[in-house]
Amino acid sequence: MDQSGPYPVKLYIYDVSRGMARALSFQMIGKHLEGIWHTAIVVHGKEYFFGGAGIGSCPPAGTVLGEPDSIVDLGSTEVNEEILREYLKSLSESTFSGDKYNLLEHNCNSFSSDVAHFLTDKKIPSYITELPSDVLSTPFGQALRPFLDSMSISPGGNSVTGHR
Amino acid sequence: MAEQGAADPGNNNNNNKPEDSEGTIIKVTVKTPKDKEEIAIAEDASVTQFKEEISKRFKAKQDQLVLIFAGKILKDGDSLSQHGIKDGLTVHLVIKTAHKYVSDGASTSASSSTSTQAGSSSTSSPAANPTSTSAPSGSAPPSTQTPNLLTGFGDLAGLAGLGMGSANFMELQQQMQRQLMSNPEMLSQIMENPLVQNMMSNPDLMRQMIVANPQMQQLMERNPEISHMLNNPELMRQTMELARNPAMMQEMMRNQDRALSNLESIPGGYNALRRMYTDIQEPMFSAAREQFGSNPFSALGGNSESGAQPSRTENREPLPNPWGPPNSSTSSESGTGTTGSTSTTGSTNPSVSNPLGINPGSLGNGMFNSPGMQSLLQQISENPQLMQNMLSAPYMRSMMQSLAQNPELASQNPASSPSSTGTNAAQQQLMQQMLQMFAGGGGGGSTQTPEMRFQTQLDQLSAMGFINREANLQALIATGGDINAAIERLLGSQPS
Repeated sequence: MDQSGPYPVKLYIYDVSRGMARALSFQMIGKHLEGIWHTAIVVHGKEYFFGGAGIGSCPPAGTVLGEPDSIVDLGSTEVNEEILREYLKSLSESTFSGDKYNLLEHNCNSFSSDVAHFLTDKKIPSYITELPSDVLSTPFGQALRPFLDSMSISPGGNSVTGHR
Repeated sequence: MAEQGAADPGNNNNNNKPEDSEGTIIKVTVKTPKDKEEIAIAEDASVTQFKEEISKRFKAKQDQLVLIFAGKILKDGDSLSQHGIKDGLTVHLVIKTAHKYVSDGASTSASSSTSTQAGSSSTSSPAANPTSTSAPSGSAPPSTQTPNLLTGFGDLAGLAGLGMGSANFMELQQQMQRQLMSNPEMLSQIMENPLVQNMMSNPDLMRQMIVANPQMQQLMERNPEISHMLNNPELMRQTMELARNPAMMQEMMRNQDRALSNLESIPGGYNALRRMYTDIQEPMFSAAREQFGSNPFSALGGNSESGAQPSRTENREPLPNPWGPPNSSTSSESGTGTTGSTSTTGSTNPSVSNPLGINPGSLGNGMFNSPGMQSLLQQISENPQLMQNMLSAPYMRSMMQSLAQNPELASQNPASSPSSTGTNAAQQQLMQQMLQMFAGGGGGGSTQTPEMRFQTQLDQLSAMGFINREANLQALIATGGDINAAIERLLGSQPS
């Protein structure tokens, strides 16, 4: 891995419902959702995401979700792996520790959004960050809310917290 | 220049500094992962000056600061305006934790970013990770010093010669570990290394390393069985074999998972299991998680309490699987057994079978007034595991398959006719399919209709005197083909 020079940053978007949302969402909740989005940031040849177990990393497309549904190019960054690791470590101790995970409000997409901004000053597409409010705006979403609150998506991978 | 930096740090106001700054003062937000502050700085200041201010405000040394803006790292020689940093913008800050960046030489571990330094040689949680110790370079010193590893190093000038340049071996280990975990090929490469294999086949050494980990020690205090296990060389060897071969490990986990799911059926067995696992498994996992920084078992897809026990616990003989279709979602079985009657329109009181007190009637449009949907909701609400399964991809695939078989069904359920009896049958069928998917955990993606799959059971049921074929079928689907449970359902849910 080269030590300097811009590293491309990509956003991997996965549909956790594997198309089911696209087919059934309108009937189930009265609103059409293209998908239930889980995102991860891929940089330095690794994929980073936030789940119920905290910040995780794995080889790109290496979780049980397989290949992403779409990839958004976020540009490139000069931040090298070491600095990113430091950054993630701080994040995992503060705002993105495992227990802070909330499926609706502070989830993998919040993490991806933060890291994307850190790396490239760009935002991730809004349809992703708006998903929770979309769901909550339906009666179905409201009813299931207490239940969704206790859920979390953990696609596996390895935690980045690393004990020192 | 120095005066600017020496100015009153609390002074955020626009101060026309008479000296070199011709530009105005701009307020830049500096954001760390934990914190953010607004710093006032001259528009044409240099990064160095900016860092001075920041180091004061964040109480960190300047060379620990790494500033990032728009994806670029701000170097000391640059100026803020060069990067386009203007008033009101946000700059990211990373404070390096007392490490100096050292470029490493060629090493098998390919840890391109090790940046550890002597100085704070903290012996915090010496990683008892078998793989990382001798991995860095096949040279002799690390391996012979393995016992010393556990005590931490002070001055590691000698190691610098290895090309790692890292003084605190503990930190190095940690990082290696992380990298290893995230790169399976590297892991297997390292496993191939004869040095590693030698080490791993020495149970005493392994035990020593494991014992030295304070978290393990804690765990051992709580569960003396664990220390007992560690003292059994045979077991250690077996474990190490497994650790060497990750595929085998996963296989073993899965077998044990299935065995466990079978054990549930034994009266009382389930509780005993649960007890055992909460006692052993959880502390083990939290220890393992903190230490290895990973929950390697979460990838197995949300199997709750039976989710992957560490291989060191006692072996369980896999019992014959009475349930038939491969069913790795254990808890769903207990879930389906308890869902009783289907439609209870209008009941809002949270009950055992409807913990969220969902009033299906109030859920708006959609298929909510159909009994199938209600029972689905009930099932889901009383068993979050189902939802979890729902969201884990492998199951989704089979659901999609079955849905694909019935594209008409999917399109036949217009949201605009919630309770029309005309489409009720179609809805029912779709619901049945969904239920089947959930209950069966997505089985093998079978493409038969439920009727065909449960043909034998249906026959048996009608022979027993349950003549309502429709109800039989529903019950069978809900229970995943289990006749006894289906009978209970049929008996328990007398049409009201």
